[in-house]
Amino acid sequence: MELIGVDTGGTFTDFIYRKEGKWGVFKQLSTPSNPAESVLSGISHITQSDNYKMVHGSTVATNAILERKGAVTALITNKGFEDVFAIGRQNRTELYNPQYRKPPLLVPSHLRFGVHCRTRSDGGVELAFDDASAAEVVEKIKQAKVDSIAVCFLFSFLNPHDEIKMEKALEALKISTSLSHKILAEFREYERTSTTVVNAYVSPIMKRYITHIIENIHGNELRIMQSNGGSISAATAMNESVRTILSGPAGGAVGAWETGKMAGVEKLISFDMGGTSTDVALIDGGLPLTFESAISDFPVKVPMIDIHTVGAGGGSLAFMDAGGALRVGPESSGADPGPICYGKGEQITVTDANLYLGRLVPEHFLGGHMTLDFQRLESYFDKMSRESGLDKKTLAEGILSVADTAMEKAIRVISVERGFDPSEFSLFSFGGAGGLHAVSLARLLNMPTVFVPQNPGILSAVGMLMADVIKDYSLTIMQKAQDMDHAMLEKQFEPLVEKGIEELLLEGIDKGRIHVEKFLDMRYKGQSYEIMVPFTTEYENSFHLLHEKSYGYSNPDKKMEIVNIRLRARGTPEKPIIDPEPHAGKIPPAKAFGEKRPVIFDGVPRETDLIHRKHLSHGNEITGPAIILEYTSTIVMPPDTFARVDQFGNLIIHTCKKGEK
Amino acid sequence: MPPLIPSDPLDLHADSRKTNKAHGNETSGKDIPNPILLEVFKNRFTSICEEMGVTLNRTAFSPNIKERRDFSCALFDANGAMIAQAAHIPVHLGSMPLSVKAAIDAVEFEQGDMVMLNDPYKGGTHLPDITIVAPVFDPESLSPAKPGAGKKIPRQNRPRFFVANRAHHADVGGMSAGSMPLSSSLFQEGVIIPPLKIVKKGQLDKDLMTLFLNNVRTPQEREGDFSAQIMANLTGIRRIRELVKKYSLPEVKRYATSLMDYSETITRKKIASIPDGVYEFEDRLDDDGKGTKDIHIHVILTIKGDGATLDFRHSHAQVTGSVNAVFSITLSAVIYVFRTLIKEDIPFNAGCFKPISLITKKGTIVDAVFPAAVAGGNVETSQRVVDTVLGALEKALPGQIPAAGQGTMNNLTVGGMDLRTHTPFAYYETLGGGMGATATNNGENAVHSHMTNTLNTPVEALEYSYPFLVTQYAIRKHSGGGGKFCGGDGMIREMRMLGPAEMTVLSERRIHPPHGIDGGKPGACGNNYIIRNGRKKIMPGKFHAQLKKGDTLGIETPGGGGYGRP
Repeated sequence: MELIGVDTGGTFTDFIYRKEGKWGVFKQLSTPSNPAESVLSGISHITQSDNYKMVHGSTVATNAILERKGAVTALITNKGFEDVFAIGRQNRTELYNPQYRKPPLLVPSHLRFGVHCRTRSDGGVELAFDDASAAEVVEKIKQAKVDSIAVCFLFSFLNPHDEIKMEKALEALKISTSLSHKILAEFREYERTSTTVVNAYVSPIMKRYITHIIENIHGNELRIMQSNGGSISAATAMNESVRTILSGPAGGAVGAWETGKMAGVEKLISFDMGGTSTDVALIDGGLPLTFESAISDFPVKVPMIDIHTVGAGGGSLAFMDAGGALRVGPESSGADPGPICYGKGEQITVTDANLYLGRLVPEHFLGGHMTLDFQRLESYFDKMSRESGLDKKTLAEGILSVADTAMEKAIRVISVERGFDPSEFSLFSFGGAGGLHAVSLARLLNMPTVFVPQNPGILSAVGMLMADVIKDYSLTIMQKAQDMDHAMLEKQFEPLVEKGIEELLLEGIDKGRIHVEKFLDMRYKGQSYEIMVPFTTEYENSFHLLHEKSYGYSNPDKKMEIVNIRLRARGTPEKPIIDPEPHAGKIPPAKAFGEKRPVIFDGVPRETDLIHRKHLSHGNEITGPAIILEYTSTIVMPPDTFARVDQFGNLIIHTCKKGEK
Repeated sequence: MPPLIPSDPLDLHADSRKTNKAHGNETSGKDIPNPILLEVFKNRFTSICEEMGVTLNRTAFSPNIKERRDFSCALFDANGAMIAQAAHIPVHLGSMPLSVKAAIDAVEFEQGDMVMLNDPYKGGTHLPDITIVAPVFDPESLSPAKPGAGKKIPRQNRPRFFVANRAHHADVGGMSAGSMPLSSSLFQEGVIIPPLKIVKKGQLDKDLMTLFLNNVRTPQEREGDFSAQIMANLTGIRRIRELVKKYSLPEVKRYATSLMDYSETITRKKIASIPDGVYEFEDRLDDDGKGTKDIHIHVILTIKGDGATLDFRHSHAQVTGSVNAVFSITLSAVIYVFRTLIKEDIPFNAGCFKPISLITKKGTIVDAVFPAAVAGGNVETSQRVVDTVLGALEKALPGQIPAAGQGTMNNLTVGGMDLRTHTPFAYYETLGGGMGATATNNGENAVHSHMTNTLNTPVEALEYSYPFLVTQYAIRKHSGGGGKFCGGDGMIREMRMLGPAEMTVLSERRIHPPHGIDGGKPGACGNNYIIRNGRKKIMPGKFHAQLKKGDTLGIETPGGGGYGRP
């Protein structure tokens, strides 16, 4: 069977495939108005077979929210709580903007309806579900002509009957309905409502998109990437589309983890630098999860891979500010007009600075498919050099070091600020622009090595192919720890386990390849934040230890609460195998070396080798300064570095001279 | 009234007085800083403050710090001039430098010392805000002056920098749980701590800590929060030393100063764009809860070139109730307003203060003297100072300043015994309201404005923890002032008591509504009420009451003012 991984990005749609036992990559421009077009034409370019399996990461759900092009959605709540979604947490995201406005809501006030009913915090009924008021709401929704409905009642995770009654009452309308206890059975009504609304808002759009793809892939299997690092069936993705939001970067993190693991490197900081932003994630023997994500300021509390993003990328604009400082970003030239060297831009970008210093090679950009206009840079650098009082080379290197500072800060946030020392990790660089900055960034953080995988420009697609099938479940139980023991908790897990196994069987996973992982969200009584602890017989001790590690103290005498139980059902399908290469000797073949070029490092032009990565093999060693060229990216090795190619074709760059530590 | 000539402007930086007079070209004689290093240092200094904040947030114990983020961290040079600050709560902006100055004046620092303080009349704001200040010495000259060697410390043994952080502690003793009482003297509000060494040469003063902990209601939580504050300072010290090691002491000092100049330049440019003139405005507090009504705050704002002077001397005398503001609160509110005018992302440092002078009279509502009660000055009067200064600026910059926002934090404290579990409980919350409309847009609904930005407690979290049932949580429709653009709507929170409870409300804008601009209508006043046996009783803005099982407490928060004729 053939395998295809497809990642739709803002500019390119990336494909990786295995056909007749061989791997191949393909990249073509995305078709933003109808993303399926590029996906389908790419697939027919790759294969005519009718026996393949495809895993797809799509930005359809994410973009529907960012561009406010989702379904017309109604929200049903308890009477008196229609505005919970509008009030949010009553804070503003811009502290010093007295003209602050929240982003437009996904459900306007005239589409928010209240029904008389109320459940208490013990799950008991305070006010019975009022059929007449529900019927009234159904009638209003019918008049309003909506495409999707979200239902979120208080404490529905304890007692879902009112939401189920509401679903029944809505049945005749035949409109896609999302119930909060099914999407996120956890307490905190705003976050649950927001997650449910986001799901309702994107599901009809996702359903249309997936249906269109399915109709055009002739019965082949389609799986969809989720933001939790696993894939799900197309059918599930249509109903739980919220789980596909922000899945693109998750594919990259999975790709980094799986590639690193294969090469024996399990402590990684992934660094994905693109045109407008940079994503970083800390991987310490496993993929990190977060439950605190948001899109367009709307909380989405389903588990996601913990990825930190900063607004610095190849397209970030450089300028002198009113106080005389050289600034870079967060404004970006975007795809249009793009950097100066693309022919249209009028403001210097990070990419232009790289080109000015000779670190990008104009005739080899994107394998020579796109040319860069070096001549165009000169007058812009002249102008900004006068403005800043810096000579042009210093200015260009200054732009890079300011950009590096922003990215260094992003990595400190996910490492130092969480108690990790970056010098124990390898910087795993991918994305179009990552290789240009990785070594200088690693040096700022005292990281000893940079790891560049094969085909770094399409790593997200690789990750999607390697991802497990994962379904996450959670339930708020809010119990005092002293009232519970291991056996009682096991009992609480039972319905979740049953559901997890049943649903993974439906996903087509063999029973022997399914396993479940159990966790508890715990806290000390009185706290308002929880820590996720693996559920073993030692869960109380684990909590104290993890609390100590995360927060610097623990208090075994203090009472604890078990807030949520969590279940992760994982199916591990057979994964594509990559065979190691035999050792080919330290010296790269002659054909790997292109001409030498002067490249500026620390203000001095250095004769630098241009090296074609496709001709490098296992065991080859390279000494900096060097520029390594490949189809999807360019890697800069400054002076005083050396690199080695490993048995899987990964390039391991040491940020110091050979022999030094 | 004739414009007043500033006779006694506050100058936080006596050594920089010269530069206050010139109009922006005072740096012409100096070396021009390298634009690249300027940006790199800007990022580094800010990230030190942020990292201190992360440490504090991560290791703190109480929800007030962890979830509501009621804390700030900052770096200072050897003279106590602020280099950078990370503030989550604007009310801390201007007051941190005064804390550090008070600490420097009060003690001789030695290596490993840390000073704590909360005395509003010695560098503090209100008692729950406790600040901890630590010196950073040269790593090479770690040996401090010998004890008893006299006042003079050799120059190389003086601190090179200071780090400080402030956190709002959920209880510091006093007459009511939560230490936000309707008091009439500072002594009722909690433990008063002048600048004292809580850590001496690296050792915690256990006696002092025991004394403090014996005077507060939740000692264990306080101890946890204190150690987090100490850890945060240690993080700051370590990061500054790393910076000095990487770039050298003179370079770090030089860029600390360059960045102050940088922020000053940008602030001055903004002020220079405001037309020269004298602009006057007056707003008022409803009352102090102790019988004094219509407490006015008066400002005369003089813009001349690239400097601003704000004269508050005609404001009301200080009052018996707890709405008195100490000077640092007023300064914070003024600095906040000027900060909102600047669109650039500048480091918040001593340079931002230099172009701005305040004139106040001791013993007034905006510069109270000991032992006036101040618990509410921080939360309520600070908001009114903002309204007043924005009102004056609006005359200078018509079309650019929003109408008044809700102008209160609607502080609510409920305490008692939870009969379901037979454990005592104490609940504190502040409620958002309407923001003022602008010349181009409606005001935002049901959100915290200006000096605070703390999160709400979710209904489900609240009902799990306390014996209440929330019966309504909604936007208060049509409470925003009408106009071409409408003020934001306030909110409504109604809660039914499931058992007896004692409660305190400290709120404003129940009598005098938030003003509109240019013909825009004022926002609706807020309302507090209790429903007992089906009968609704309107309560005043500041009150204390005993509630019975089945009573419903309702709070309707004010709407924002409207903008322009409808």
